[in-house]
Order: sequence, then C-alpha cells, then structure tokens
Amino acid sequence: MTSRGTASRFLQSVLQNGVGRYVCQLKRISIIFSKNAQSSLGIREFIEEGVVDYAKRNPGTVVYVSPNTCRIPKIVAEYLNGNVREETVTSKTSKEIAELITKLTNQSGLDIIRLRKPFHTDSPSIQGQWHPFTNRPPSVGPIKPPTLEG
Amino acid sequence: MASGYLVNRGLLTFGIHYRNVGRSTTFTQIREKKRWLKSYMYTMEKKRKIEGPPPPKPRSQKPNWDYHAEVQAFSCRLHENFPLELLKTAFVNPCYMESEHRRRQELGMDAETTALVLKGNTELHSLGSQFTAGFLADWCRASFPSLHGDGVAAVAAHLSCAAVVCHVARNLGIEDLTMSAEHPVTDDVLQATFMAVVGALLESRGAERAGVFLRDFVATQLIGKDLFDMWTVVNPMGLLMEELAHRNMSAPEPRLIRSAGASTVLPLYFVGLYSDKKLLAQGPGDTVIAAEEEAARVALRKLYGFTENRRPSDFSTMELQQQPAKYVGSN
Repeated sequence: MTSRGTASRFLQSVLQNGVGRYVCQLKRISIIFSKNAQSSLGIREFIEEGVVDYAKRNPGTVVYVSPNTCRIPKIVAEYLNGNVREETVTSKTSKEIAELITKLTNQSGLDIIRLRKPFHTDSPSIQGQWHPFTNRPPSVGPIKPPTLEG
Repeated sequence: MASGYLVNRGLLTFGIHYRNVGRSTTFTQIREKKRWLKSYMYTMEKKRKIEGPPPPKPRSQKPNWDYHAEVQAFSCRLHENFPLELLKTAFVNPCYMESEHRRRQELGMDAETTALVLKGNTELHSLGSQFTAGFLADWCRASFPSLHGDGVAAVAAHLSCAAVVCHVARNLGIEDLTMSAEHPVTDDVLQATFMAVVGALLESRGAERAGVFLRDFVATQLIGKDLFDMWTVVNPMGLLMEELAHRNMSAPEPRLIRSAGASTVLPLYFVGLYSDKKLLAQGPGDTVIAAEEEAARVALRKLYGFTENRRPSDFSTMELQQQPAKYVGSN
C-alpha cells in the first residue's frame, strides 16, 4: 500500500508532556510467563536478574509479575492515555527483554503509525493564509479617493 | 469395584471412556471430530452480533490490580509527595459510598458489620475547586496583564470547564483510580475527583505546590488556543472603542484598503482600522462588515497581547525537587 493509504498522524505528545514537567507515560506493565515452559526461559531469567532493579528505577510504573500456564510469554504495557500494547517475548533472551522494556517505558503510548512529518506546529504559516494581495507591493491596488480627470 | 472395572474394560473396546465423577454424575469423553463446535461457534457469534460488544469493565475488575501500589505509583509519577491515605480519600466519591452501602445492605447483613469506614472526598473537592478557580484567574491575570477582566474570567472558566479538566484527568490515569458508582466514570464525577486530588495536594503540601501542579497540567492546555474561541465577544468593535477610550487613544476609523472580485461569488475586502492616523490592524472578510469585525478582533488581540506569535508563557521557572524514588514491593 502506498504511504497515502496507510494510517498516519502528526507528531504530538500526550497532554503537552514535558512543557511543565515530564511524566513517564507507562502506568503499568504486566509480565505474563510460564514457570516451566521452554519459551519463557529468557523472561524467567529477566525476572530473576532485572525486574526488581527496573521497578526501583521506575517508581511511577506498577510492575506485575504473573506466572501462568502459557506457551507464549507476554509483556502487556498500559499507558496513561488508555492504550494497551502487548508484546510477545517468546524465546527472547534476558538482554533483549530488558531492551524491549526500556523501549516500552520511553514510549508515549500513542499509536505507532506513520508520522506525516518529523516536526509539527499548530500555526504552520508565518505570513498567514494566502489571499490575492499576498506578495503584492502596497502601492498596487489600494483604494484611493477617486481622482478628477479632465 | 471389580464389576466397575469390568464394565470399563468392556466399553474401552468401543473407544468410549466413562469416568465416575462424584456420586451421580458421569460424563462421556469421545474422541472424534467435534461436529458440535461449528454450530456452537456460529450461535455465539450471532449472539454477540445481536447483543453488541460487552459493556466496558473497570480496570480494577480485570486481572493484575493492586490498588495501594497503583495509588503510590500515581503519586510518584507526578513527582508529588502525597500522603497516601489522603490521596486515597480523594478518590472516594460520595456516589460510590452510597452505592456500596446499598449493595452491602442488599446482601442482607446487619448494619454494624456492613458499616463503611471510608471518608468521602466532598471537603477536598470543595477545597480544590475553590483553589483552582482562584489560582487560574490569578495565573491568567499575571500571564496576560493587559487582558480585559471579562477576558481573564473567560479564559479561567475555559481552563476549569468539564471538558478540559476531564481530558487532563483521563490522561493522568485518574479515571482508573476513581471510586465511582457508575462505569464508565461520568464527567462530573471525574471533574470532582480531579479537584479533590488538587485539594489533597493543597492540604498536604501547601498552596505553592498545588499551584505548580495546576500550572503544569491545566494551564498548559492553553497552548495553541485562540482568545475568541474561549471568550465569546458579540460586538468586538464596541469593545475596541471602549478599550481605546480607556487608553486615551482616539476612536478607531475603519477604512476599506483593498478589495478584489466584488462582483464574483468570492469577494474579498480588507478593512484597516486607523487610530490617530496610524494603522492599528487590518482584517479580511467576504463582506465589508465581516472584514471590519475581523479587523476589530485582530486589533483586540494585539492590544491584549494574545497574538499567535506572542512570547510563550514560562512553565519552567519553578524547579521541581526530585524526591528520592521510593520503591515498595507489594508483598
């Protein structure tokens, strides 16, 4: 599909985040894994090594660790604007999972779709909307008092 | 026992297992193609189509929810140091207390055991909404010193109206934590809860922190807004004359400065407003009257310092004291 046909949005932030103070947009993260499945090996390792450090570093994020009988371990990230992202971490190593969680923490939670431009402004035009007199010298066309000729 | 074994063995040859579950129930397990599955799925799909999607469930009824941890994370996330008990009180709405009380009574227990030990947020709400109205009016007056009194009131009213406050509250995750009788949480309840949170901050940390909180989260919503979207002025020309008289300038004199396509369907007129033979402002319009009104609005924006290219308000002067991050495990 061409880029015109795909969903797109402008560059934006949730609630003007960062203008006043920065608020981490990830509100809770649930790690769903199996206690004995082969595919959850990496995430079990991550839970042993890194998850407590992560929770200490991010007190604004609630971390839930829930063992479950499942073959596909998941990380469910919920953002302040209400969006939920599920990432499957089947057969991923502990390091890859740590990178993924860092990425989820730094995201804003807005839809990940094509950005129309890498910059955005609310008032795109400096000189204003075009009108027939744009770029015309002020001497041309001003209404003058009618001159009496002849 | 032995006879049961024999029966089982006999049936096994037909590929059928009978298992004794409890005293009287037996269920059969047959290995075959599940021919019932298709019609079952079809019926369920049809039912879903008729009934529509199920009503949304509050987050607190879904798995992985620890209220205490959530409230604590809420406080850490906003870099504020709320006392947790007070913050929890701020989330309890009177409508929730009523419905919970009724629910407990319906369960048929006596009044003593069902008594709620919760305190509502009514006081915090009134405290917070009073402070918010006062603070926003002060902030607008300080940010736009030349703005008319009515304009200040209109901008402050816009910032504290239900739409803006609910937008802020939803994007701060207050909706999940709100204790409300209904779900989804109604706008009134959400606004009351936000005001109660502000009230809790005011009571525990003082007016300065509460002011910074409001400035950071509510006043930033003013970015990119136009003055006359928030403030309805019916007669801008009259207001401009009043303002100019107040500033000891002569009355504005509208003049048609440019026009094009007067006989077409898209005519364009430019009207300039002159005061003391100096151009105050010019505005376009498709009739002369509309152009004059637009020019008056442009002139008012210039006089009030509310133009699009004004210097942005400073949101960074108060430095945040980063509290040392506290980590608390759930168990």
